[in-house]
Amino acid sequence: MSGRLLRLAWRNLWRNPRRTLITMVAIGLGYAMLLFVACLMAGLRHQMVESGTDLVLSDAEVHAPNYYPDRPTSQTLGERDGTDVSALINAIAADPRVAAASPRVYGYGLVSATHESAGAELLGVVPDQEQKITVLQSRMVKGSYLTGRIAKSVVMGDKLATTIGVEVGSEIVLLTPAADGSTGNDLYTVVGMFHTGLDAMDRNLVLMPLASLQELLRLPPGRIHEVGIKLLDSDITAATKTAAALEVQLSKSFPVRVRAWPELAPELADYVQFNRRVTFILFLIFFLLAVMGIVNTMLMAIVARTRELGMLLAVGMRPVQLVGLIVAEAAILAGGSLVLGAALGSPVLWYLQVHGLYLGGSRGAISLGGVVVGPLWYGRQDFTAYTQAALGLAVIAVVSALYPALRAARFRPAEALRKV
Amino acid sequence: MRWQKGIVAVCLALISLNVGQISQAADDQRAQEIVDGVARLFTSKSTTATVDMQITKEDLQRKITMQFWSVDESNILIRIRSPQEDAGTAILKVGGKIWYYLPKANRTVKIPTSMMMSPWMGSDFTLNDLVKQSRLTNDYVIATSFNGLRDGVAMSEYTLTPKPAAVVVWGKITLEVRKADRMPVLQRYYDEDGRLVRELTFSEYKTVSGRLIPTRLVMRPMGQAVEQTTITYEKINFDEPISEETFSRKNLKQ
Repeated sequence: MSGRLLRLAWRNLWRNPRRTLITMVAIGLGYAMLLFVACLMAGLRHQMVESGTDLVLSDAEVHAPNYYPDRPTSQTLGERDGTDVSALINAIAADPRVAAASPRVYGYGLVSATHESAGAELLGVVPDQEQKITVLQSRMVKGSYLTGRIAKSVVMGDKLATTIGVEVGSEIVLLTPAADGSTGNDLYTVVGMFHTGLDAMDRNLVLMPLASLQELLRLPPGRIHEVGIKLLDSDITAATKTAAALEVQLSKSFPVRVRAWPELAPELADYVQFNRRVTFILFLIFFLLAVMGIVNTMLMAIVARTRELGMLLAVGMRPVQLVGLIVAEAAILAGGSLVLGAALGSPVLWYLQVHGLYLGGSRGAISLGGVVVGPLWYGRQDFTAYTQAALGLAVIAVVSALYPALRAARFRPAEALRKV
Repeated sequence: MRWQKGIVAVCLALISLNVGQISQAADDQRAQEIVDGVARLFTSKSTTATVDMQITKEDLQRKITMQFWSVDESNILIRIRSPQEDAGTAILKVGGKIWYYLPKANRTVKIPTSMMMSPWMGSDFTLNDLVKQSRLTNDYVIATSFNGLRDGVAMSEYTLTPKPAAVVVWGKITLEVRKADRMPVLQRYYDEDGRLVRELTFSEYKTVSGRLIPTRLVMRPMGQAVEQTTITYEKINFDEPISEETFSRKNLKQ
């Protein structure tokens, strides 16, 4: 029976191709519009998270239990004995959700040039590995990023360099309280300067090879403070879940805490959650607009067929069958429309992801709440939102056909036939 | 007749009030003198000293030996003799500026004031504690907060609160002094919220170069079970001439 009903529904749809096509375009365009909005919003969220986590803060960080947030120099991973760094990195990188991992050592102290001194945060990294988890190397404005070749080399924020009056090639003295209580001090060469747009980094950060900083702090090679992790999916919930799973996994060897970026940068997480709520409201408004178009078209399409439906009842179709027929029509129509909408939308989505929307502004990237937002707004594919929107529209299309269908099922055939 | 009595009474009241004020002023003067005396315990026209600093932390034991030269409080030179890692490091205060000589880098570095308040050489003292003691009476208002017996010893306690315009870190400092010889016993440092932050105890009073001084100072930060830093004056000479050159930047490197 249902096969016959479907065949009938299909034939009915093409009995009036123009009406069907108009309805399809209405639903399809509504869907394409939702895809566009979802893609841009996901892109904005992603860009916020990325720009917050791709400079020093990474997607997740592995610490000794008591290290964060005070960051005492003595609280290295594996406590005083240190840890087998490469084994730890390998264990982390073995997780399929991890894109890359890099060891880090932190310190603070005085950066001193010939005439001026300033306090700074010292970050020791392995340059080759660090470049896989952060993008500071792409923010160099003078000189070059660290290479493994020159041991006692540093790169620093451009504002810090201006404050203490150094250029690329200048010598600086670093002075820091070392782990054994002595005062670590040594000479270094400035090889490059970066500009991130974030004042806290441009004024305060000195990056140097991991081994150099360990030597300055009198930490043996096995003692590091942190492993920075880049995740394949850095979304707020995915990152938190992965960090928790990693912590369970790594804790089998020795006690560690794995913190995802929402825990390390709660203000960024708040911002993302806020953005998510705004997106939801915006999405809802667009969804309602699409729904109004669909409901209107479906209602009109069925009201216009009162006479035809009355005829079907008159020749003996049972009301239940009539409702089934109309719902089947609506379902086929909705399915076709969504395919049409996806076909219309996908080139746009591709363009947004690859080229981005240019937002203007002559000064390039701006920093907002600790996050650098670039002049280009890139989209990002959010298949969850796409599926939800598709299901939502399909349900709305069927439901909006159901109401006139139920009404039609109660027609007295004689009256319905009299309608034009 | 009655109103004449009244006038006499008023006059008497005014006089006694005045006397009260005068004695109050004298008290303040005395308190000021005593606190000032404590702040200047180790300074003289020219002072040389050998000082041990024993640092005890949960995971760390360190003993630093240093030599100390000062003229008043304006010129100070500290030279670290041991341990090996820090030997040769020298700190010079001259003309209100602080310089560090770092033997490993073989450089002299100017220290910004912001670094004066951070723990020095891993100890519980700050550089400020070592080179800026005598500013207490300039920056704080002194009030006598206790007079009497404590543990059978006649003591006075003074409470120092910062003057409105003073740029200081502490919200309050209390100082307990033995009445008999004006020797300090205990100095407590409070933060701006009135919480006790650290405690400095003085002991082992000795007469050196004709002066009575406590030769042992123990600084204990609050909230740490084992952490403390002890300063012991091994040798100290007051008013022994020091050549001007001692405090030159050239002399830092040795």
